[in-house]
Amino acid sequence: MRKYSRELTVAGVLCVLLLALAITAPAFYEPQPLLSRLAREAPTLILACGIALVMVSRQIDISIGSLFAVSSVCAGLLAAAGWPLAAVLGITVLFGAGLGAVNGALVAGLRLPSIVVTLATMVILREGLRWQQQGAFINLPDSWQWFGLSQRGGQITLISCALLALFALAWASRNFAGIRFLYAVGSNAEAARLAGLRPQWMTFAVFVFMGALAGGAALMNVVQSPQVDPKSGTGLELKAIAAAVVGGVAVSGGRGNLWGVFAGVLLLASINPALTYLHVEAYWEKAIQGAVILLAVVFDGLRNQREIS
Amino acid sequence: MALAESTRKKVRPIGLLLFRHETILLLVLVGEWLYFNAVGRRFGTPDNTFDIMRHSAEIGLLALVMTPIILTGGIDLSVGSLLGLCAILFGKLWRDGGLSLPVAAGCTLLIGACAGGLNAALIARLRLPALIVTLGTYSLFRGFAEAITRGVDTFTNFPDSFLALGQNRFAGLPAQVWFFLPVAIGIWMLVHRTSFGRSFRAIGFVPDGARFAGLPVERRVALVYVLAGLVAALAAIIYTARLGQAKADAGTGYELFAITAVVLGGTSIFGGVGSVHGTLLGVAAIAVLNNGLVHARQPREVAGMLTGALLLAALGASEIPKLLARMRAPRHGAAPPLSPNNPS
Repeated sequence: MRKYSRELTVAGVLCVLLLALAITAPAFYEPQPLLSRLAREAPTLILACGIALVMVSRQIDISIGSLFAVSSVCAGLLAAAGWPLAAVLGITVLFGAGLGAVNGALVAGLRLPSIVVTLATMVILREGLRWQQQGAFINLPDSWQWFGLSQRGGQITLISCALLALFALAWASRNFAGIRFLYAVGSNAEAARLAGLRPQWMTFAVFVFMGALAGGAALMNVVQSPQVDPKSGTGLELKAIAAAVVGGVAVSGGRGNLWGVFAGVLLLASINPALTYLHVEAYWEKAIQGAVILLAVVFDGLRNQREIS
Repeated sequence: MALAESTRKKVRPIGLLLFRHETILLLVLVGEWLYFNAVGRRFGTPDNTFDIMRHSAEIGLLALVMTPIILTGGIDLSVGSLLGLCAILFGKLWRDGGLSLPVAAGCTLLIGACAGGLNAALIARLRLPALIVTLGTYSLFRGFAEAITRGVDTFTNFPDSFLALGQNRFAGLPAQVWFFLPVAIGIWMLVHRTSFGRSFRAIGFVPDGARFAGLPVERRVALVYVLAGLVAALAAIIYTARLGQAKADAGTGYELFAITAVVLGGTSIFGGVGSVHGTLLGVAAIAVLNNGLVHARQPREVAGMLTGALLLAALGASEIPKLLARMRAPRHGAAPPLSPNNPS
């Protein structure tokens, strides 16, 4: 129980917030707006899970917002050209994985610092996309929105897909050796190497996986609207990192739990609607989001100091 | 271990001065200048040179002050947001608070230093990772700016005497230069000519070693973040004077440009290695590239892409020889450990 006190605290705060909303603003729980909000957050959840794994292996990827945008446009162009859904899904995920592989090769192969590499690829991808698209939206065929289902059906499908991915990853992160190795590499790369792992290959793999997840998340975003916005995903990298940090993933590597990340995503996602329902002006959202991140790390810092002394 | 050290020393290039990062960057800068001068018709004129200075002053200030931070092994993502917040508060104090402009400017500088102090307290006192703390304040400061203006309020109609600080020339040079130069000289002296500034690099190399050597690590680290807040406030005032307006989105993304310039200038993101003149060259290389491509009638986006590519090339160029050495080296023995990414 003590081991998960960090995750449980976040879950507790989330429960208190949801409870407060249930008492003061029951309208928050009306099914349709709730479903829409959850569906909008589904891509963020996928990205946050991915970035959590990247952070567990003691790297960081700030290019995921750009990866997400580029993959969205890739999916949009294929869809507009009349490709079937399954093919677009496959190609978008592979496309994302390919771009992730570039990051991975630079970080693991050339041993460049990941924050600088992904800063550079973030700018290159974002500017390249702007050059290619000139800000133009892509119109999707009618059958694309919500996978051709009803709005509610589509939203439920998206949410279940995201939850399924979360379950699978959370299970794998406890039971699948490949992901356990990430924890080992993130805790101490040299010890992991001496134990027979190959830290560079693990690092490469985690960036490729992150890219693939960004491609998948992009598709989940594309089907939610009739058009693809080439500017989508701006600032998403910071949102995903914030959710992971609030959820208890340590930037120093080796620590993190995907259920905590889930609670972090939900907590950050509930702030904005909570403000609306509690009649606080929505302009405060970013400030409160920042305050939540700071509180989470201050909590970590104080706890660490207590443990040392 | 001793053997590994001696072999690593042999790999280092011999013509040290020629292959210094700063020298190569200077050559790139000169190359850029000559190329754009040949391609663009108006590029080489004094007017355009002053234009480049004018537009790069704010990012230049942020990059200057980011250098000691990165030297200590930290990072500050919040400077762009703080620039926005300070610009808003400056306008608010002047228009709604009824303060005169110099008093409002003084208050803004104080607020900037306090905001830097918040970063400093969390990073130095509580020893939290700088990346995450400043990610939080990045959101917090921008959020305050948006909340204060409710996302729409814009401060304009500043008197001409104030706008002159951003748009006129003094003694033949753009007004910004007279703010930028003292800060640049001051930070260069601090980092390169005082034992105080030398300790930044010691802290960046081995924080614990610096502590055992008797350095007040917490206080020194706190100082660089407070300094960053102060200079971000100064940049906010110049920014407001140049554009004649203060909006909540002022300075969005500037932190990334500043970090890019610092890293391009040869400062290691892990701390301990780097120079202020390198940063200045980095700022100049990016500014000339941006301006020159406009004159060469290339789309704006190409400048961004090339900046990113330049950053990767600058880093890669120093790593590729090491990669080749690693590939030639036998597989056993102590391999260099995986570099920790976490710059805090």
